[in-house]
Amino acid sequence: MTDASDDTLAAPRRRFLENGFLFWHEFVLVALLAGLLIYAARVEPVFTRTKTQLNLSTHIWELAILALPMTLIIITSGIDLSVGSTMALCAVVLGMSFRAGTPIALACVFAAITGLGCGVLNGIFIACVRVHPLIVTLATLSAYRGLAEGISHGEAISRFPPAFTQISGNLAGLPIPGLLFALFALVTAIALGKTPTGRAIYAMGFNETACRFSGIATNKIKLILYTLAGLAASLTAILFAARRNTANAAVGDGMELDVITAVVLGGTSIFGGRGRVIGTILGVLLIHETREFVSWHWQNDVLIQVVVGVLLILSVLLNTLLTPRGRE
Amino acid sequence: MPRAVSRRTLLMTSDTFIQIRDIHKSYGGVHALSGVSMDIARGEVHALCGENGAGKSTLIKILSGSVTPDRGDVLVNGAAMRLGDVRASEAAGIAVIHQESVAFGHLSTFDNIYVGREPKKLGGLLLDRAAMRSQTRALLQRLGEADAFDPVRPVSELSVAQRQMVGMARALSQDCRLLVMDEPTASLSERETRVLFNLIRQFRKDGVAVLYVSHRLDEIFELSDRVTVFRDGKHVSTEPIAGMTKEKLIHCMVGRELLATDQETSFSRRVHPARPSDVPLLQLKNLTRAGVFQNVSFEVRAGEIVGMAGLVGAGRSEVARVIFGADPADAGQVFIAGEPLGGNSIDQAMRRGIAMVPEDRQHLGLVLPMSVGTNLTLPILRRLTRFGLTSSKRERQEVEKLIKALGVKAASPAVPAETLSGGNQQKLVIGKWLATRPRVLILDEPTRGVDVGAKAEVHKLIRQLAEEGMATLLISSDLPEVLAMSDRILVMRAGMISGEISREEATQEKVLSLAIPASSSPGAEVAA
Repeated sequence: MTDASDDTLAAPRRRFLENGFLFWHEFVLVALLAGLLIYAARVEPVFTRTKTQLNLSTHIWELAILALPMTLIIITSGIDLSVGSTMALCAVVLGMSFRAGTPIALACVFAAITGLGCGVLNGIFIACVRVHPLIVTLATLSAYRGLAEGISHGEAISRFPPAFTQISGNLAGLPIPGLLFALFALVTAIALGKTPTGRAIYAMGFNETACRFSGIATNKIKLILYTLAGLAASLTAILFAARRNTANAAVGDGMELDVITAVVLGGTSIFGGRGRVIGTILGVLLIHETREFVSWHWQNDVLIQVVVGVLLILSVLLNTLLTPRGRE
Repeated sequence: MPRAVSRRTLLMTSDTFIQIRDIHKSYGGVHALSGVSMDIARGEVHALCGENGAGKSTLIKILSGSVTPDRGDVLVNGAAMRLGDVRASEAAGIAVIHQESVAFGHLSTFDNIYVGREPKKLGGLLLDRAAMRSQTRALLQRLGEADAFDPVRPVSELSVAQRQMVGMARALSQDCRLLVMDEPTASLSERETRVLFNLIRQFRKDGVAVLYVSHRLDEIFELSDRVTVFRDGKHVSTEPIAGMTKEKLIHCMVGRELLATDQETSFSRRVHPARPSDVPLLQLKNLTRAGVFQNVSFEVRAGEIVGMAGLVGAGRSEVARVIFGADPADAGQVFIAGEPLGGNSIDQAMRRGIAMVPEDRQHLGLVLPMSVGTNLTLPILRRLTRFGLTSSKRERQEVEKLIKALGVKAASPAVPAETLSGGNQQKLVIGKWLATRPRVLILDEPTRGVDVGAKAEVHKLIRQLAEEGMATLLISSDLPEVLAMSDRILVMRAGMISGEISREEATQEKVLSLAIPASSSPGAEVAA
């Protein structure tokens, strides 16, 4: 009985500090973003114009789309390092099959199947063979990229038909990739917040065994998530090829790091169990704006890397300070 | 055996090595040890017996320095030892060998023997691995095990018996004066046990004191010079083994007067026992999992509480895991209401109405950092979902209903489960499974680590469920609990059902004698 009353006494204090305002991390990200844009507006007024922002936004969508499945994967306390390489392989399959005379629509389907296959392969090794996701996707990071280089012999394929390159264009004044992203983000947010699978994803991140003992098909969920990541990589490969009108084995180089950085910056715990789509969107935005501003203002690519690194460390610190304690 | 007899007479004159004086230790209001005193002499094998929870392991932890007692002293050669300090215990020459006595499975034998005090070279900069290796070989030779295994291999590749050798070699290398062995033979073969006994006798001959903790009475009679019995954290008796009989020892461990009060007060039996119907809801036919348990057959009828007793490691939880679909069976079948269970998955078991409250509530039962509500609805989310979306209103109603029905004491359903007390956490685990509306409920140690008040509430709940027709399998190491709650008691020993006792005939002695491994030749050993 005594412990029960201890709970009752301790809880309100805890809740005010830790559960009272659930969007601390997002709040801090918005503040950082606002600070950056206000500063940018003063030193580089052109940078913050809507037109400039819309132009620059073409760079953001691939990162943003990949960050969605990555958020889910990291919440389960997994990781997928192979997304950039999967992108390259899909882009090469797209380009090579197009050059071999396949209609571009069918070439896109081939690219999608490739992405699906890459994801399923990762998922099988992680869920069924039970190898750690870090190891599996580190291996496929190098294997998929190598395969892409082998198939393409280092060549770049370009001159895609205009009907294809328009995919990266606008629809009713809004970028098509952006609309796609908005749709996916909405679906992901609902799935995470409102479905049994979403609940299971969070619970798996904390304690996979307890989930299994609650009748949750943890292996099936893992397989699905890594497959989704592969599919997302194929979609971004198609968007990239359309935007740059080129496809080669270097597509998506280093993409996995940007994606993981954005997700972690967005408040998803690398240890699993915590994370939200809104946080990931803010993380992507913050990284994007920081990058673009640094390259606009100082025209220095090296500095970008440093700034992004600092941001990442900052966000992890914030995350540690703001999340509820008690799980050592 | 004249030699043994002469040893025992010698003991009377031999001096005391360790004196344990009035040790008290409690964990959150539960007294693990209340005022225990005993002496251990040089060159004696001193057996320590008692039921689960008698306080044996707590005493071992105090001797090893990993637990600090609330009060009391340990005198080594008449001088007080600093308590709660592993280094002080090591310096006093106390070495503890557990069943899994080696700390670093991925390291080699010699690394494990010398961890923390490795021989160094180059003025302490580098480990002197050559010295470690040769000294290890010499130690193993002294133990007569030099050819048995390669000290370079990682310890995780060794057998349990070999790991104990590593532990003993470490003890030897530390010039140990008191060797504490906790259930050393629990997973050893007959031959390995012989080797171990010879080693223990060798240690004794060298004047080392041995504190030998075991459930196996035959071993105690074979090996020890004196035996001490603990019960409920108190010292019951210390006697020379010569004057002890097996019956007397069991009687000391169980304690008749305690048994009587238990049944009268906190564990009052059901006044109106539910009448078990004729349908066996859960039925096992020759269920086998190779190397774990064999040919387990029993049935549980609607409204019946079947207790399952046995020592730790007898295979009880493992049977439960197979029924629940967490592990596959190698042979045999499970029937639910007369139909084969079919398939082997937790999902399938749940669909057929099986629920299991697992032994390890922290790792298997709950997702501790998540909220009380989330934990309660985790297995039933599908039921609360329409068109793919979970209804938060229905979820809230379900959670409120469960919290009320179980009397969970939490500030709100939103607080993390880890903030609740042990008893309330256990109620959560039971609650999340009751929410699945099971027909068969398996409870694995449902009141372990639960305080007395919550324990009574859990018992009441179990009885109430049985009245409503639940078929309950109650696995427990708490004998009074099994005796008071069960309609029938199954006893497991070494992976087999060693007997079934009806409620009317059930006594602690009967259960224990079925649970403790039978003697091969009892007469000879008592005489030894």
